[in-house]
Amino acid sequence: MAYINDYQYYENGGANPEDANWGSYQYTSLEEIVNNFMLMYQGNNELLNNLSRYQVLFYAKRGIQELNYDAMKEIKILELDVCNSLRFVLPQDFVNWVRVSVYRNGFLLPLVENIQTNWSGAYLQDNNCNILFDQDGNVLKPQHSNLDMDRILGSKKSIYLNANSPFNNQAGFNVDGSWYFDYAIGARFGLNPETANQNPTFSIDKKSGVINFSSGVINDMVIVEYVSDGMENGNNASIEVNKLFEDYIYAFIRYSILNGRLGVQEYIVNRARKDKSALLRNAKIRLSNIHPGRLLQNLRGQAKWIK
Amino acid sequence: MAANINEIRNTVLAIANKNNYGYISPSDFNLYAKQAQMDMFEDYFYQYNNWINRQNGRTSGSGYADILKSLVEVIEGFSVTSFLAQTLANQYALPADYYFIDKLFYYPTVLSTGTNTFVNAFKLTDGAATFSNLTAPYTPPVGSLIVNTTTVGECFVTNVDSPTVLSISGDIMNLNDSYVIYENTNITEVERVSQNKIFYLTSSPLTAPSAQFPAYTLEGNTVTVYPTVIGPNVGSSVFSQWAASRVQAQYIRYPLTPQWTFVALAGGEPVFNNTAATFQDFELPDSDEPALIAKICQYVGIEIREGDVYQFGTAELNEETQTTT
Repeated sequence: MAYINDYQYYENGGANPEDANWGSYQYTSLEEIVNNFMLMYQGNNELLNNLSRYQVLFYAKRGIQELNYDAMKEIKILELDVCNSLRFVLPQDFVNWVRVSVYRNGFLLPLVENIQTNWSGAYLQDNNCNILFDQDGNVLKPQHSNLDMDRILGSKKSIYLNANSPFNNQAGFNVDGSWYFDYAIGARFGLNPETANQNPTFSIDKKSGVINFSSGVINDMVIVEYVSDGMENGNNASIEVNKLFEDYIYAFIRYSILNGRLGVQEYIVNRARKDKSALLRNAKIRLSNIHPGRLLQNLRGQAKWIK
Repeated sequence: MAANINEIRNTVLAIANKNNYGYISPSDFNLYAKQAQMDMFEDYFYQYNNWINRQNGRTSGSGYADILKSLVEVIEGFSVTSFLAQTLANQYALPADYYFIDKLFYYPTVLSTGTNTFVNAFKLTDGAATFSNLTAPYTPPVGSLIVNTTTVGECFVTNVDSPTVLSISGDIMNLNDSYVIYENTNITEVERVSQNKIFYLTSSPLTAPSAQFPAYTLEGNTVTVYPTVIGPNVGSSVFSQWAASRVQAQYIRYPLTPQWTFVALAGGEPVFNNTAATFQDFELPDSDEPALIAKICQYVGIEIREGDVYQFGTAELNEETQTTT
């Protein structure tokens, strides 16, 4: 962003919102990236010339998207209540999730993704299992599948050791048709750690754009941490990238354009490719933010007693 | 300094006036002068391209050997920046004298609008305005662009005198003239897009034209700017659409047609008069005088059926071409 004085930074020059410029110095806007690229990297005496600005804009945005998928640790967090439908509609700019938690009694309880599905589509069938169609030849579908209904009504059992576990949170063994349970006498042999979590579980239906939960989260507040593609719902004015990545974006644009151009020598394309890859690694290292204070605090964890 | 039309005419007449039958009438001379100037004007753009190639081939020097720089200086002598006349909501008419549109641009941020309520030289006075000079940057900041939307004059803010009075760099405001003040720091270029690409561009979520990255297409003498609505602006909702006095073009115009004018005949000869209303000197620089003479000689040689004159012109031009390319 442009350089501003302290009054503009701290109080936005007296305008609302007051915090509009806080922390803004860390970032370079999309407009600046495109502008700088057109100014510095394309021209009659440069490697690239006769570029349209929209080409640069396209590759700049693609570069920012790739960064968000790959390297950015800029997590977005959204909190929503989950009601009887047991679903959480994904945010508009959702690309992938990082962590899903329930906020209950002042604690954030991280949830695990169900290794089984907990949702399904369904077709209506008659008593002979024939699929039913409407007059246009389209298959008839119920509003919810049985799997969904059971989950919503709370009657679906879970392989996780939570409230929907078949045996009230206990791991059991079926021997000759009889169940045996190993109560805690210093150990729980046979426990499957993968499913040994008493919190509710979730499963993401990407196509429908929802997170489906097991029945334990009705009326709970769910916090979803997710990554976006950085496109800010198409608002070009809000798109920005951390300055640590700025050089990488220029390299990405340069490589992408050279790679698609006719008659560019392969060694030039290769040079641009290596440049881009090296700068991405460099940016990742920069953003990993390893410094002594953090390392020290992590290393203090080694003093913890493991029971 | 521009090439002197009278000197050129005298030289051409001296070359062509063999045995007193090589006389060229003023009207014929003016026709040939126009042709010659236009020919050389266009040639500048090809030379420009040629010298860029030479520069990239590292066969061109810098400093006084920077030929490209002198070519650019001549071309940019014809550069004009002006507001375009709005014809429809998002359409503007290009100026009639444009040869080459270098760029279109607009001022995205409107700081304020209003009417001049009192006439004072180099001042803008608006009784309803709320300008502020309490804290820097002032509102509007010094350097902001003021456009008189009634007369399409423009100048800059030089000081905020009071909440209702601005000092301005030009004496452009008449009583009840409307004005708009634009922020002068984030001027945005409107990009030229070819007709066969525009709908791909507008349909693409990543590259669709926006207020930050607008685009235009050209059809005849009309440009259509995209997006059709550019969104709200600071201080005014009126200017959320494209408006008159909003889009400017920087272009290279055609050179004005040279006119050798005279007052009367003296001894059968027309007497040169450079104060006539229709007088127009050449616009190409002095250094082009030999080439202009040579070109006109070619035309004259054909008119008077004199091969020597034509061949002289051709030889001169060839020599010129060899020197400059």
